[in-house]
Amino acid sequence: MNDEVGGNHRRARFQALCQSLRPELLRFAFWLSRDSALAEDVVQESMLRAWKAQDSLLDEGAAKPWLLTIIRREYARTFERKRFVTVDVDELVASEEATLAASAEQDLGELRAALFKLPDEYREPLVLQVLMGYTTAEIARELNLSGAAVLTRLCRARKRLRAMCGEDTSLDTPE
Amino acid sequence: MMDHARYRMLIVSDPRSADPELREHRESCQECSLYTEGLLRFESRLERALKVDMPIRAGVPPFASKTSRRPAVRSWNRMAIAASILLCLVVAGGLWLALPGTSLAAAVVAHVDGEPQAWQRSDVAVPDPRLNAVLRDSKLELAPSAGTVTYASSCFFRGHYVPHVVVQTDSGPVTVMVLVHESVRKPLQFDEHGYRGTIVPMPGHGSIAVLMRGPGTDREEIERIAAQVRNAIVWTP
Repeated sequence: MNDEVGGNHRRARFQALCQSLRPELLRFAFWLSRDSALAEDVVQESMLRAWKAQDSLLDEGAAKPWLLTIIRREYARTFERKRFVTVDVDELVASEEATLAASAEQDLGELRAALFKLPDEYREPLVLQVLMGYTTAEIARELNLSGAAVLTRLCRARKRLRAMCGEDTSLDTPE
Repeated sequence: MMDHARYRMLIVSDPRSADPELREHRESCQECSLYTEGLLRFESRLERALKVDMPIRAGVPPFASKTSRRPAVRSWNRMAIAASILLCLVVAGGLWLALPGTSLAAAVVAHVDGEPQAWQRSDVAVPDPRLNAVLRDSKLELAPSAGTVTYASSCFFRGHYVPHVVVQTDSGPVTVMVLVHESVRKPLQFDEHGYRGTIVPMPGHGSIAVLMRGPGTDREEIERIAAQVRNAIVWTP
């Protein structure tokens, strides 16, 4: 009886934890996939996988990186399952216009479109760092890269973004 | 001594880095210092750009398997769904009115939890023009006695843009949100989801929320910092 009550309590806590992290994870999945509907599906499936594997989460404090890893894997699985048609980035931007434009600041729209145009290998570490607060070492671990490779990608990501947004890049170091 | 090229490569990779070697170079090189200021301005825009408002799909249980990307809704049960949503809104609205303080604290926690990058330990102060721009709309300035401000953003919170700043203290980063549109009758302490803080009234100017995160945060320390920040606020006409 006590075990059952304890189990219910634990499950309720886990559910609340996942729900509280969901908006942030959804945002991460959006930048990963550049598709809000796909992001929702990936997060939904990831939550289901997390629910089934909740016993493997030993520390609630580590829930966010744990869920984030599940989302990255689920997204990769989606990619394996489906044959994605190559899409023009401008079409992607147009299809997500409502999400990208949902801001009172006009200049953010331009920056968001530029983020869509960044190659995946540059966009993902940048999102992990800026949006999710990951350190270089944490990004390296998550993406299975060396620290130097992560720094190079972050550097190139910002240089390209700034150039696309018309920032002064004359003092940047050449690649 | 680090050269300019190495500094710029590293600072572009992480503009908010607190690396002492980078700081040393920056302090000795005006050109790189200006370069960093430009990067930080862009970084602030980047942080806001990444925080897209994601539409939440209604009616999907948290752990339900997906059915279809856009589930078809039969016309005969649309009324039932609408009635359920209306009922939820009524109940939620009632709870909101019954527990205004708790709702405000929860909203503050949810907001700061959505900006993890703000919590980085850093000694790179936000440039004055940037900080002033964030504070200007709320008609206030922050005296230097508040401490080093390493993050400043104008954030959309409960229908208004409010200043969200992070001050570095000996106890770590402390978040301050100036809530000129939110009044509380008395100081409200909260401890939720790993964040501990207080919302204190600012008579005639709404309230301010001051919070820290992590298990080592001390209630008295928060109160002390809240008083320090409160005294550092200068209201402008």
